[in-house]
Amino acid sequence: MFARLVGESFVRNPRRKILTAAALVVAMAVATATLTVALEVGDRLGREFRSLGANLLITPESDTLPLEIGGVDYRPVDEGAYLPEADLGKLKMIFWRHNILGFTPFLDVPVSIRASREPASKAPVVTLTTLIGTWYEHRVAVPDGTIFKTGASVTHPWWRIEGRWFGDDREECVVGATLAATYPGGLAIGDVIYVRAENADRAQEEPRPLLVRGIVSTGGPEDRSVLVPLRVAQALSGHPGELRQLYLSALSKPADALSERDPSTLTRAEYDRWYCAPYISSISYQIRQVLSGTEVRTIRRVADSEGRILSRVSTLFWIVTLAALLAAALAVAATSAATVLQRRSEIAVMKAIGATNALVGGIFLAEQLMLAISGGAIGFVFGVALARVLGESVFGTPAAPRLVLLPVILGLAALVAMAGSLIPLGRAARVDPAPMLRDE
Amino acid sequence: MFARLLWKLVRGSRGRLAVALIALTSSAAVSSALLNLDLDIERKLTREFRTLGANVVIAPRQVAEPGEPGAPTAALAASPILMDSDVVLGEVERRRTADVIAAAPYLYLVARASDTPVVVAGTWLDQASKLEPTWRLDGDWITSRADESRCLVGRSVARQFHLAPRGSVELTYLGRTTRLSVAGVVDAGGADDNQIFVNLPVAQKLLAVNRRIEIVELSVSGTAENISRYSAGLRTALPRYEVRPIRQVSEAEGQLLNRTRLLIVSTVILILVLTALCVLATMAALAMERREDVGLMKALGGSISQIVGLFLAEVGVLGAAGGLVGSTAGFALSQWMGLRVFGTSITPRWEVFPLTVALMVVVAMAGALPLRLLGKVKPAVILRGE
Repeated sequence: MFARLVGESFVRNPRRKILTAAALVVAMAVATATLTVALEVGDRLGREFRSLGANLLITPESDTLPLEIGGVDYRPVDEGAYLPEADLGKLKMIFWRHNILGFTPFLDVPVSIRASREPASKAPVVTLTTLIGTWYEHRVAVPDGTIFKTGASVTHPWWRIEGRWFGDDREECVVGATLAATYPGGLAIGDVIYVRAENADRAQEEPRPLLVRGIVSTGGPEDRSVLVPLRVAQALSGHPGELRQLYLSALSKPADALSERDPSTLTRAEYDRWYCAPYISSISYQIRQVLSGTEVRTIRRVADSEGRILSRVSTLFWIVTLAALLAAALAVAATSAATVLQRRSEIAVMKAIGATNALVGGIFLAEQLMLAISGGAIGFVFGVALARVLGESVFGTPAAPRLVLLPVILGLAALVAMAGSLIPLGRAARVDPAPMLRDE
Repeated sequence: MFARLLWKLVRGSRGRLAVALIALTSSAAVSSALLNLDLDIERKLTREFRTLGANVVIAPRQVAEPGEPGAPTAALAASPILMDSDVVLGEVERRRTADVIAAAPYLYLVARASDTPVVVAGTWLDQASKLEPTWRLDGDWITSRADESRCLVGRSVARQFHLAPRGSVELTYLGRTTRLSVAGVVDAGGADDNQIFVNLPVAQKLLAVNRRIEIVELSVSGTAENISRYSAGLRTALPRYEVRPIRQVSEAEGQLLNRTRLLIVSTVILILVLTALCVLATMAALAMERREDVGLMKALGGSISQIVGLFLAEVGVLGAAGGLVGSTAGFALSQWMGLRVFGTSITPRWEVFPLTVALMVVVAMAGALPLRLLGKVKPAVILRGE
C-alpha cells in the first residue's frame, strides 16, 4: 500500500517535480565534477611542478668533492668516481617506478672546440668550453623487457631548441646560444666543429668532428656549452659506459612528519607506511637500494618549494570544492522545500481522509528519496562529462571518471533532498486541513 | 505606489523569500571570498615561489676567451670573465624595490683546503637566508656582509674535511692563505653542498682582485611580466652585461598560477548557476502561489509588464540585499581562507564588493525569468477559482 502510494505519487504529475529533479541533476553534476577534479588535483599539480625539472640528484657515493661552478663540473675527467650507465634501467624496477617520470645522465668534459669554416691559412681560433654529454630522448632498456623513453625532454622541459636535437647514435651536437653567438665568427646550424678533450694524455688525439644540429637556449650554464649524446662524451673522456651525475624527476607527495624521520627509527608498521608512500625520501631510499654505491640527494630548492606550494594549492582547491558542494546542497534543499510547499493542498487532502502525519511524511520523504537517487544518478553522468571539460580547460587533459564517487553523490543527494523537505513537512504537519481545503 | 506594492509583496511571503535570500547571501559570500582570493593569489603564490631561489641573473656577456690547447682545466675555473662590482652592484642597489627579495654577487675560485681543491664562493652572506630559503643550516647564519672571519660550508665539504660549526678551515690560493671559522653547515641538496661560502672581500683578497665579481643573482617577486619588466630595466641600465630571467622558474610559476585561477573562476561560475537555480525554484513556487494576485492585478488593469516589473524589482532587491550581506561575510571568509591556505591574511579588494552585488542582482533576475509565464494567466479563470 505504502509502496503503491509512493509509486503513484512519484509517477503522477511530473511537472511538479521537474524543478527538484532539474536542481538535483545540475547540483549533483557540479558536485561530481568538482570532486572528480579535486581528487586529481594533487597528482595533476605534481605533474605540473615537474616542469621545474629534476628533484633528485644521484651521484657516486665515494666521489671526490665536485668542483662545480655554475652547473659545470671542472674536475679533470680522470678524477672522481663514475656511475655505470648499464644500471639505469633498474630505476624503473623500484616500488614507485611509475612515479619516476624521467632521468637524464650528465657527463661533463672540458674541451677545446674549433669551427670548420675558418680558412686554413689563418691560425684556427680555439675556444675552451665544456662538452656536456646527455640524452635528449633516449630509449632505456628496463630489465623487465620494456623500453623507457627518457632524457632532457622530460627532466629539463624548459630547454628551447632552434633547429633539431642531436640523434643519440650520431656524431652530432647542439650548441648553447651564448656560445654560438660569441664564438668568433659565430656558430650556425649545419657547421661542423672539431672537438678535442682538454686532458693532458688525450690532447694529442685527432679532434673529433661533430655536426651542429641546433642551437639550444636554457637560461643556464648550458648556454655556454656544447651538448652532445652521452656516448660521444664518454668516448672523448675515455669513460665508456659511465656518467658523473643523474638528474631524476619523480612525482612525490608533500613531506610531512613521517617522511622527515630517519627510516631506521621507524617501527615496522610506520616503516611499511613510509615505504609505500611516494615521499621523496622513500623514493630516494628505494633508488639507493637498486643503485648500490650511489648517493641520492634531494634537490631541496625544487622539492621543498614543490611540497609547500602543492599542499597550499591543494588546500585551496579543497576549500573551493567545499564551497561548490555547499552551493549544490543549498540549491537542492531549496528546491525540495519549494516542491513540498507547493503540494500543501495535497497534504491537506491526505490528512482529511485520515492519513497520520507520519504516513504523510513517510510518503513524501520516500518520494524525495527516489527523486534524489534518480536525479543524482543522472547528475553523476552529466558530472562526469563536466569533469572532462573542467579538467581539459584547467589541466589540459580531461579528468578520468571515478566510480567511487557515485555512492557519495547519491548519498549526498538523498541527504540534502530529505533535509530540504523536512522543514516544510514539519510545518505541513501542523496544518489544519479544513482551511487549507477551503483554499484560504 | 510601486515601492509600497513591493514592500507588501516582500512582507507577504517572507518565508518563501527567505529561502532565496539565504541562497543569494551564501552564494554572494562564497563568490566574493573566492574572487578576493583570486585577485590576491598571484601575489601570494609568486611569493611562495621565491623559495625556488634566484630568478634573475646578471652575468658577463663574453664566454670563455680563446686559450691555449692543453691548458690545465683548473685555469678555466680560475680565470673567468669578471664584472666591475661598483657598476653592477651600484645599479642593483639603486633599483632595489620592495619586490627584490634578495640580491647577492658571486665570485668563485677553486682554492685548496688541506691540499684538496674546493670551490669557494664569495658572496653577501647576509642575503643567503633570503636568497636560498630552502637551505637547512646547522649552526648560525652570518648576518653581516663585512664579516671576514667566518664562513658557511656545504654538507659534502663538511664531511670531506671533517668540519663542524665552530671548527675552522684554512684556504689557500696561489700562496695566499686565510683561516676562517665555520659558522654553519649548509644542507642545500645540490651543487651548493660542495662549496664553501665566504663574504665577498675574502674571495677578492684570495684572488687578489679588487672590485670584481662574476655574477649577480636576484630573487624578484611578482608576476612574469613584473620580472621581465624589472630585468628589461636592468638590461638598459647595464648594456655591457647579460641580464636574464631563469626560465625554469618563471615558466612553472606562470602555468600553475593560470591553472589555479582558472579553477577558481570556473567554480565561481558553477556556484552562480546553482544559485540562479535556487532562486528559480523559489520564484516558480511564488509565482504559483501568486497566481490569484496576478489575476486580480490584471483584472484591475495592470499590464503584464508592470506586474513582471514588480516581481523583478522584488528579486532585484533580494539580490542586492543578499549581495551586500554576503560580500561582507565573504570578506571575513576570504580572511579565513588566506590564513588557512597561505598563513597570512588576504588583502581585501574593494572592487569585489560592487561586483558581487551586481552579480547577485543579475543572477536573481535570471532566476526569476520564468515569471514571464505569468503573462499567460487569464484573470477570469483565476478569479473563478479554478
